[in-house]
Amino acid sequence: MSLETIFWSAFLLPLLGALCAGLFSRSSLSGICAIVSSWMSLILLTYVLLPFLQSDKTVLFFSSLIVCSKLSAAFLLLTVLVVATALTQSYLFFQNEFKDGKLHQQKHICWFYSFSLLFLLAMMSVFVSENLGTLWISVEATSLLSAGLVYFSRTNHAIEATWKYLIICSVGIAFALLGTIFIFASSQYGAVEGGSLSFAILEAKSALLQPLLLKLGFIFCLVGYGTKSGVFPLHSWLPDAHSEAPAPASAMLSASLLNCALFAIFKVLKITNLSSCGISCDRACLWAGVITVLAASFFLIKQHGLKRLWAYSSIENVGLMMVAIGLGSAPIFFLQALNHSIVKVSLFCTAGNIIQICGTKELSHISGLLKISPLNAALLLLGGLAVTGTPPFGTFISEWMLLSLSVERHFAVVAVIILVSLTIAFIAIIYHIGRMLIGNVRIEKTNITSIKYSAIPLLLIIVSVALCFVIRPELLGEIK
Amino acid sequence: MVSYIVYSIMILILPLLLMGFLQKIKAKLQNRIGAPLLQPFFNVLKLWNKTQILSEDASFLFRFGILLNFCIATYLILSVPWLNFSPMIMGLDLFLLVYLLAAARFFNILSALDTGSPFGAFSGSREAALSFLVEPSLVLCLLAPGLLINSNVMSEMFAFKTAVNSDNPAVWIFASLGLFITALVELSRMPVDDPNTHLELTMVHEAMIIEASGRNLALCEYSYALKLTLFFGLSVQCFLHAVSAFLPSNEWLTLFFSVIGMFFLAAVLAMLETVLVKLKWTKCPDFIAYALTMGMFACIVALRGRT
Amino acid sequence: MIFTLLILSSAIMAVLMVGTGQVRSNIIFYSFQTLLIALTTCVFAYVENEHKHYILALVIFIVKTMGLSLFLLWLTKRIGTARDTGTFLPHPLAMHLSVLLLIFAQILSCQLPHLSKLEDFSAGGTAGISLILTGILFMLTRRLAISQVLGFLTMENGIFLFALTQASGMPLFVEMGIFLDVFVAVMISGLLIFRIKHSFEHIDVTLLTSLKD
Repeated sequence: MSLETIFWSAFLLPLLGALCAGLFSRSSLSGICAIVSSWMSLILLTYVLLPFLQSDKTVLFFSSLIVCSKLSAAFLLLTVLVVATALTQSYLFFQNEFKDGKLHQQKHICWFYSFSLLFLLAMMSVFVSENLGTLWISVEATSLLSAGLVYFSRTNHAIEATWKYLIICSVGIAFALLGTIFIFASSQYGAVEGGSLSFAILEAKSALLQPLLLKLGFIFCLVGYGTKSGVFPLHSWLPDAHSEAPAPASAMLSASLLNCALFAIFKVLKITNLSSCGISCDRACLWAGVITVLAASFFLIKQHGLKRLWAYSSIENVGLMMVAIGLGSAPIFFLQALNHSIVKVSLFCTAGNIIQICGTKELSHISGLLKISPLNAALLLLGGLAVTGTPPFGTFISEWMLLSLSVERHFAVVAVIILVSLTIAFIAIIYHIGRMLIGNVRIEKTNITSIKYSAIPLLLIIVSVALCFVIRPELLGEIK
Repeated sequence: MVSYIVYSIMILILPLLLMGFLQKIKAKLQNRIGAPLLQPFFNVLKLWNKTQILSEDASFLFRFGILLNFCIATYLILSVPWLNFSPMIMGLDLFLLVYLLAAARFFNILSALDTGSPFGAFSGSREAALSFLVEPSLVLCLLAPGLLINSNVMSEMFAFKTAVNSDNPAVWIFASLGLFITALVELSRMPVDDPNTHLELTMVHEAMIIEASGRNLALCEYSYALKLTLFFGLSVQCFLHAVSAFLPSNEWLTLFFSVIGMFFLAAVLAMLETVLVKLKWTKCPDFIAYALTMGMFACIVALRGRT
Repeated sequence: MIFTLLILSSAIMAVLMVGTGQVRSNIIFYSFQTLLIALTTCVFAYVENEHKHYILALVIFIVKTMGLSLFLLWLTKRIGTARDTGTFLPHPLAMHLSVLLLIFAQILSCQLPHLSKLEDFSAGGTAGISLILTGILFMLTRRLAISQVLGFLTMENGIFLFALTQASGMPLFVEMGIFLDVFVAVMISGLLIFRIKHSFEHIDVTLLTSLKD
């Protein structure tokens, strides 16, 4: 079998899995189907992409619309990994929900699996699309398909969150479409006859693009994809959607969907690089990121829900990634995304377990976790430390590299603001975790979960620690 | 000379004939036989010969207001180019037109108040509110053609002589639509007021003239018919200017189209009054806003054509 | 000339849509607006001699003018909410504001560079920007969920018109993908509106405020 066939079948597998999962009416069957297809897809993709990542080639060409650069290969693997682990966890999660009697409809769970796999497919196509138009279509498809995940529990809160998510993201993405059109129009002024949407052509002819239209295009794309990734003033949908979705779905949203939108911003920014407005676009990205980090850290202080806490922490990390994009550093962008995604999946899965144990997601109602469930308590603490960038976790390395890069590029102010925000975030998160861990046990009914429910979060934490020791700047230098 | 004679005949016949036509069509649409086409003429004649009963509280203002209203309507019908002929009195300024209409309404309201009947008071306040809302749209709709030729003299605006530039049709169409909606409000027709209702609490125009009888009522009816002709005529003229590129330049043919157009508008009005229901009083501004929007569009397009 | 008229009248339809609170009338105005856009696309295809635009025009007519409008009408009938009372701005004022936005759009589109071969279509920029702004205004001044969807669709129409006239249309497969996404988005929000009606017994999105920090 040629590499191409394997690559295509890695895309086909989630589709087939989604069909099967949707057709089954027993949740366990369709769950197994989803898990198998996502892990199989990961194995196939690794088989194709790992040699490519180690080789000297810069791009892997599949068709005129589907091209895989090193950065997108890395993101592709990360996304499939995140979804595969989240789906595996969701199998256990739903089992437990059933035991608790919170779920009654098997079919709803089948739909959940089906939608997750389609969602995965849309996200995969974001990373491999070689065209601004298909990129937009894929990003919009991710929000439409993930709406099904947010909607899952069908409570009033979930419906409200889904509505906000759908309408805010759709309008935001519409702006990104306008930006795409501006960029398309800008290429018609002498750069390409009849215009082009292809990234390769646009990047090569960057200097010939009409500067005003290009700048407008970038601004609209930043606003549009920024809404999707939760950049500060446009983030309002994010905490709602993350806190109302079931825990594994929140993990997918936070650890893979946000990367998609940021990847789109990164691709658009790359087009502007060589043009006359390149520097101002970089600056816009950088400061949007800085403001997001600062705002999110303040929001973290006064949170009342466990999953909202992690949602805001995601916004903070999005800000950090935006700073990395603004500094033009693809390796640090990916590294930050990788570390954040791994830790965030672990944290959301742990949060799901804790919510199942305590029966509430209100921070003020959870206390004495150390006595109820020491394992989950330990995971929560470790995850909290990891997400705030404490050594010895992978996030420490990426944040440290980001700070040193910003100082190197004479953005000491940025470094200082980020440091201050990270400190605030650290204090806020540790404060909230501390209040959950210690104190009296106030919950009468406890539903103690066994170790198998915490296996995946535990593994991911270990991976995060390992990343701290494995990653060297030289290893990442090649990702572009 | 011939055109003067035709013009005079039109002024004498058309207003009441339009009213009769309107009522006839409306009756047909509602599956009634309806009064004969010439019923308004008979009505006015009948009323003219009846004795008039005046309220004991009414002062001279009551009759003065009605008379002045009639005088202004007559002056306007002679000076506004509502047919494709030059009017008999030239040089009417469009703002003068607007203010004369306002003055007529003012005296109308005054005479309604003068009798001291409660209906006169509330219908007066309603009439004032309506006209207050609709006046901007009237000004804008008439101003837009004026902007095209840099003049505010009515007889110059509607002259069939000025060159038609590429953006003109839109201006005239918007002005025409705006004037038609304005006419519905100014004349208290269906969506804002039901002319057939005799529930005193809902009517506007009918309650204004509720105290008039005999000759006074005849004058009221006739000046109402004149105003109807005026507005419909202006609206039709605007529309004819919009399509003037496709029209033959024959004067008599244009006259024919003008008259047909006015009857067509009357038929449209009859149809609207059959299908629509009267709006809630508080919803009237929503409807009147459309007239203003049309006026704004007309002005925008006119200004866009100038720059 | 006829092109300018067509293209601007679609923007005018959107302005008129803002003026009424009747959801049915809003949908009918939307339907006319898309019909005019489909006609514009046809004329554009004829002038530019590009056959792909005929397909686009047909798809717009089938999907948007007929499909989405009928779906929304059916939805309104099933939900049984006929009138949108509006939020902070009364409907007439919102309509007059959107007329001003039309002027603003004209000023904006004059600032943008135009390709010389598209000189006749510069009104398209005005209409496109005006539709986008009007759509946003519509979403801001309405409280019903179904009106939000209409505002979004108006905005999307503006973007399409802008792409058609300022960039002579995106590649066909991109346009088709966009149509598919928009279609699915409206279907999903339609189902969600049913659910909102079922759970909250209203579809007033300004009352959905239980989730906050």
